[in-house]
Amino acid sequence: MSYAIETHELQYRAGKTFELGPLNLRVPAGAIYGFLGPNGSGKTTTIRLCLGLLRAGRGGVRVLGHDVPSQAPEMFARVGYVPERPHLYPTLTVREALALHGAFHRRWDPAAAADLLDTFRLEGDTRIGRLSKGETGKLLMLLALAQRPDLLVLDEPTDGLDPVVRRDVLMALIDFVSESGATVFISSHLVHELERICDWVGVMDRGRLVAEVPMHSFKNGIKRLRVRNAPAQAGDPPFVLLARERGDGASGTEVWVVRGWQPTMRQYFEGIGAVLQDVVDLDLEEGFVELLRTARVPGGA
Amino acid sequence: MFAAICRIQWKASVTALALLAALGFMVPLLTVQQAGFSAGDRRGWDLIGMLSTVEATGTLFPVLAVILGLTLAVGAWSADHQGEHVYALTLPVPRWHYVLLRFGAGLLLIVPVAVAVGAGCAVALGSLDLPTGLRTYGGAVTLRFALAATVSYAATFALAAGTKRTAAAVLAGLMTLIALALILETFGVSPAVVERVMNAVFARPGPFEVLVGPWAVIGV
Amino acid sequence: MFDDIDPRNPIPLYDQIAARIRLAVASGDLVEGDSLPSVRQLAARLRINPATVVQAYRALEREGFVEMRQGSGTYVRNVSTDRRRQTRDDQAARLARDLLAEAARLGIAGTEVARALQREMGARAQ
Repeated sequence: MSYAIETHELQYRAGKTFELGPLNLRVPAGAIYGFLGPNGSGKTTTIRLCLGLLRAGRGGVRVLGHDVPSQAPEMFARVGYVPERPHLYPTLTVREALALHGAFHRRWDPAAAADLLDTFRLEGDTRIGRLSKGETGKLLMLLALAQRPDLLVLDEPTDGLDPVVRRDVLMALIDFVSESGATVFISSHLVHELERICDWVGVMDRGRLVAEVPMHSFKNGIKRLRVRNAPAQAGDPPFVLLARERGDGASGTEVWVVRGWQPTMRQYFEGIGAVLQDVVDLDLEEGFVELLRTARVPGGA
Repeated sequence: MFAAICRIQWKASVTALALLAALGFMVPLLTVQQAGFSAGDRRGWDLIGMLSTVEATGTLFPVLAVILGLTLAVGAWSADHQGEHVYALTLPVPRWHYVLLRFGAGLLLIVPVAVAVGAGCAVALGSLDLPTGLRTYGGAVTLRFALAATVSYAATFALAAGTKRTAAAVLAGLMTLIALALILETFGVSPAVVERVMNAVFARPGPFEVLVGPWAVIGV
Repeated sequence: MFDDIDPRNPIPLYDQIAARIRLAVASGDLVEGDSLPSVRQLAARLRINPATVVQAYRALEREGFVEMRQGSGTYVRNVSTDRRRQTRDDQAARLARDLLAEAARLGIAGTEVARALQREMGARAQ
């Protein structure tokens, strides 16, 4: 499998308290990879490190086969970047920004740019400094897409945008990905949005990559079991027991949060004299919350 | 790429450039008029006085040149500073290449102002009927102006290219040195080292030598 | 037709999409020769991964409901009446299964559900 982004034991430190890594990120080529994590978990820092905007303390990064930061210019010819905070020159008009961007990117597609300008309903003569948050978000996506990149690195591209703009931006993104097969690395804390479009998930928490799996196994991976009459000591389950809590309702009912559940494992409960009442699927957000909760408890799997 | 950078830099500096060009055009005219070379009767001319006026007014040239250099250098980097250089750092060109593009674009923009100075000199000095022994130095002054602007531009450009922190640090350092020199002077301690530094920088072959000395459009 | 697909549902998205198309064919809403939206269009409209749409179409192609023609799109094939009835039966069975499972979770017996169904169907007929 070839990777669009791979980091090797990447480490970074800032001040006395912020520490990132060692990080071993692997973004498969052609995937739509969702980068999740609570605020402050190091998502933006990781992205900056991958693009050479920050220098790593230790470890290496390769993006589309290019070494970062030594081969960063070649890499940027193939990577479209939407940063968390707008980075465009505020005195330029939309049209001038397009012209400037196009002058630097060999694969710039002026027809696609004009098309997107139309779709996004952006006025060419407006100054960038005067654009609303939504319009800026659309412009950033426009520039990244019209570049015809092989990889899109999007740092919270829809954060703070209203639902209509968010939909427009995502539609344009997916439209491009459908025809180009480009890889997308998108960080967001809007879990529901990522749930629809991503086929890979990477979860950051407190500077570490806590999980990196295909989306379907992430969603199916963690489940909540409603168990009754379970003994205090339940040895050797076939699944990974992440947490065991008292459930609400009838006494003796517990909620078990498990990973790696298979339907055949029902027998285990019979074996320990317990009753498995229910298996609850978790959506991405709940799965994410459970993962973080259990990842933070010392001794949690 | 260079054309694109030139275009945005032009846009950023056009009003300042227009103003400086207008002033640059007027200084030679002003010089000639102030000195009295345009007045009719030559016999009443106090040549020594007139020439010293020419020199005095001529100091406007280096002032204008320095301002031009400063303006263009600041204009070259102000947009990048606002976004903390992220845009430029994510372009598919090496950093040194980008810096060169910015530098070149600003350099190019010195030309129209220098041309305005040259035109002003041509207009002011062209129709003059000078007594023998006096010559016009319009061309030389224009060239010197362009050079002075370039030096000022290059020096400020280097400063402006860094982060705001380094620029502030350098300026703070300079201020401290100047303050120190002044303090020492008031106490009567004449630091030879200050003089040596000044000489090194402002006298030939120092980099800022072009700024000092006479800027006379008319001389012997 | 696809407005209510739900990524939070444990049924994979591609399956939800395929199910809708299967049922549309079964009910006659889609007939032989009708073209399905392009992968690009559908993915963008639903804001889902295009690979998911491809997966759905491929599954339907394997089952014989559609055929994917290179360069021109995806078209509905002729599906026999028997097949169509089978599809509807399968979907009904699935609904029944889910209903009974949900009832069990709530502690309601199958017979109670059956009685309620009868009443409901009777009310609708009027």
